[in-house]
Amino acid sequence: MRAVRPHPVLLLFLSLLLTPLVAPAAAPGLGPVRDPGEMGAGGFLIRADSGLREAPLLETDVAIEVAGLIARTRVTQRFTNPTRDWVEGIYVFPLPEGAAVDTLTMRIGERVIAGRVEERARAKQTYEKAKSEGRKASLVEQERPNVFTTSIANLGPDETLEITIAYQEDAQYDRGRFSLRFPLVVGPRFIPGTPVAGGFDGTGWGTNTNEVPDAARITPPVAKPGDGRVHPVTLRAEIDAGFPLDSVSSPSHPLRVRAQRGDVYAIRLDDPDAQADRDFVLEWVPAVGRAPSAALFRESVEGDEYALLMVLPPQVETKATRVSRETIIVIDTSGSMSGESIVQARRAVREALSTLRPEDAFNVIEFDSTFQMLFPASRPATPEAVAGATRWVDSLDADGGTNMFPALVAALQPGGESRAVRQVVFVTDGAVGNEDALFGAIERHLGRSRLYTVGIGSAPNGHFMSKAAEYGRGTFTYIGNPAEVVPRMAALFEKIDSPVLHDLRVDWGDATVESWPSRIPDVYAGEPVVVAARLPKEAGRVVVSGRRGGEDVRLELDVAGGADHEGVSRLWARRKVAGLMDSLREGRSVDDVSAEVAALGVRHQLVTRWSSLVAVDVTPTAPVDVETKTRNVPSLLPAGWDFSKLFGGSRGPAAGAAAAVPMADRADAPGAGVAIGQRIASARIGSLPRGGTPATLLITLGASGLGVGGTLIAVAGRRRRDGASR
Amino acid sequence: MRGRARGGRLRSAALVLSLASAIALAHGLWIPAKAHLAQRLIARAWERSTPGTSPPKPWPWADTGPVARLWLAPEVAPLYVLAGASGEAMAFGPAHVSSSARPGEADNVVIAGHRDTHFAGLRALERGDRLKLEAADGTARDYAVVGTRVVHESRTDLLERTGDAELTLITCFPFDAVVPGGPERYVVHARAVASPGVAPVSASAGDSEEAPRR
Repeated sequence: MRAVRPHPVLLLFLSLLLTPLVAPAAAPGLGPVRDPGEMGAGGFLIRADSGLREAPLLETDVAIEVAGLIARTRVTQRFTNPTRDWVEGIYVFPLPEGAAVDTLTMRIGERVIAGRVEERARAKQTYEKAKSEGRKASLVEQERPNVFTTSIANLGPDETLEITIAYQEDAQYDRGRFSLRFPLVVGPRFIPGTPVAGGFDGTGWGTNTNEVPDAARITPPVAKPGDGRVHPVTLRAEIDAGFPLDSVSSPSHPLRVRAQRGDVYAIRLDDPDAQADRDFVLEWVPAVGRAPSAALFRESVEGDEYALLMVLPPQVETKATRVSRETIIVIDTSGSMSGESIVQARRAVREALSTLRPEDAFNVIEFDSTFQMLFPASRPATPEAVAGATRWVDSLDADGGTNMFPALVAALQPGGESRAVRQVVFVTDGAVGNEDALFGAIERHLGRSRLYTVGIGSAPNGHFMSKAAEYGRGTFTYIGNPAEVVPRMAALFEKIDSPVLHDLRVDWGDATVESWPSRIPDVYAGEPVVVAARLPKEAGRVVVSGRRGGEDVRLELDVAGGADHEGVSRLWARRKVAGLMDSLREGRSVDDVSAEVAALGVRHQLVTRWSSLVAVDVTPTAPVDVETKTRNVPSLLPAGWDFSKLFGGSRGPAAGAAAAVPMADRADAPGAGVAIGQRIASARIGSLPRGGTPATLLITLGASGLGVGGTLIAVAGRRRRDGASR
Repeated sequence: MRGRARGGRLRSAALVLSLASAIALAHGLWIPAKAHLAQRLIARAWERSTPGTSPPKPWPWADTGPVARLWLAPEVAPLYVLAGASGEAMAFGPAHVSSSARPGEADNVVIAGHRDTHFAGLRALERGDRLKLEAADGTARDYAVVGTRVVHESRTDLLERTGDAELTLITCFPFDAVVPGGPERYVVHARAVASPGVAPVSASAGDSEEAPRR
């Protein structure tokens, strides 16, 4: 027995010696040498402008490819877990309102796992099951047509996981210019209503209310300015419009544009340190005379033929005689408009006021938590009245909530005026969570008014802007920076003054054709008619008809040809989903609509309100008995927003609030593993050159080994002498 | 007797451990020594070369040669940049990624180096700092750091040409990691600035005034 006694000592030394080798092997990659004095709740350090800070938790990479009128965008989110715990990450992020999300891949190290669309509750179940079994999993859900959540389960200490989602959309076309908007941030939204019990069921800062039952899911924590968190975004785009371009530009970010072969352009952001704090807008203008007047794309899927049709109605001369009108201007002065936005909004209102003539009538409404009308009722736009209104608007400050509903209803009430034209110009960033209630109000109260939304700020809610204008039979305008106020407002009033094409119909000459949207919104000067349809194979002609300025307009097009384009079927399905969602507001039951939407989502592999993308790793990697902590990845505040105005002082739902979030529910019983993910690639896609040597490791190992060895030799020598002397 | 046998076993184990440790230590010390020594030899080769021709091999069996000199700050000795970012080349100096633009070209030149030897200095670089790159043919260009960041190793798009005179320096991250081979890279992004004269910077005071001091 005594003979083996020295071995434990040796083993102890050896194991101490080997510790630095074994520990990092469990968390491959990072040698976490940290200075605890510098660290907050964990996280490795990087250099920022003001010294060392916590490293980014998330990196976003956006690649947009435009072919013809259709854009396909890949968004890669790279999550790094800087903590010592196994965590679940939840990230709320925006996408364009028309985005048809169809692909999810999860990359863990060198393995790539493809996700697939399942009915929402089932996808959630699949995800929760994988989570409880210690597998890595990711889930992409739709919260609003333009707000999505990514959840990732079982991200180990120091691990990095990459999620790539892809979607299609069609480019917007207006007045000779194509544009795409990539929203980089979900602005904090105003959540009206009464809090309901147990309302913090997501991880956001909002509590669920009777009006916004999912508030906790759409209100990510916001990083406080100076928190030092960085959320770098890289963005690349390629435009292959199919015709020569006159210009490629962005009003939101400085670009670097490089012409490649033919008419293909490669675009990058000029600033390598771009942050996700404002929407990215890309615009391209066809060379003079090269803009298409009609375009048709088609795709065959499982025997069905799908088509996307864009038609630009011929221009008409603007009538010289201008009818007198009643104009109601509504300005949002809520806290979300503070900073640069309110300045732009005031300028936009001044522009609107300047178009008034003495024969018009007008009023101005200002709203935040409450609303205020300049005049009790609309009054003639005399120079004095307009000057007074301008002064009043200039004095407005942004503060308080976005209680839009009463202001909207008041603006749509006709009052005593009986002029032929009644227009409501609504200047806002749409930072609201009760969109559906507002759309319902617009539909009920619209009457003969027309609603024109003007989106202000670095991250307007595009879903609200476009849909409100559609229900309001108006049009929407984005103003992204101060320089755009004058030209964009001028363009809006030019549109308003031109005769509008209404009562639009698209006749495919075949009753079996299913065309969406089923009710085509009014089309203003310079805007195209865009419809998606499922056709029989041999569709020949389509007739677009409507009325404009009291005259019939009729366009006949040959649809036998058209360019093949992947993704057209999904754009059709996306429009059908939008139509079905609208039918909810027309009184259809949620049960019927959700079943139909979910089936459409699964069939076309599309993320909808009732179908989600889920990917699950085959092999469990997380220890099942270890608690998983749920962490929210904070969003950045949109540029120009004032943190203190939104959340007041420092008590706000700062990123740190995520620490107070409850532990993830791990109650699910572990069952037999069902792997729905499949391994589709294992090849390394390429990587940057390595830049580290094992010198430190070898020196550490060598020096401590020598120390231990020397000690042991000394010990052995003494033992030997002791033994000999006995 | 028993004590003697026990002591003997322990002693041989300790000897083996000491020997292995000594080898590891020597290897560990050799890496920075080699990195330093190689730069000296390469510097000699560079100085012997005639402008316009490629420099002679720094040592007879070398499979790489210098393609540029890089100043991470005006007042320090330059680093000699080797051709091809292979593991072998990077042991001797920062290495030029051959797929990127060649030094001297007005495009994105990418250079990778070890975070614990040649490129340890990257961690001190900040926005606005001046860098200088002199190609073997004598063309020199001044750069200003526009940003630093940590990226995943899969970001190979950083190696692409951009059409602008840029310099991208890449090393491993975190800087103090003991075990090499992590998935993160530290990237310094610099853009060309109007060069105030092409002569390589010597340690003279006149030149260093152009670069902002930290």
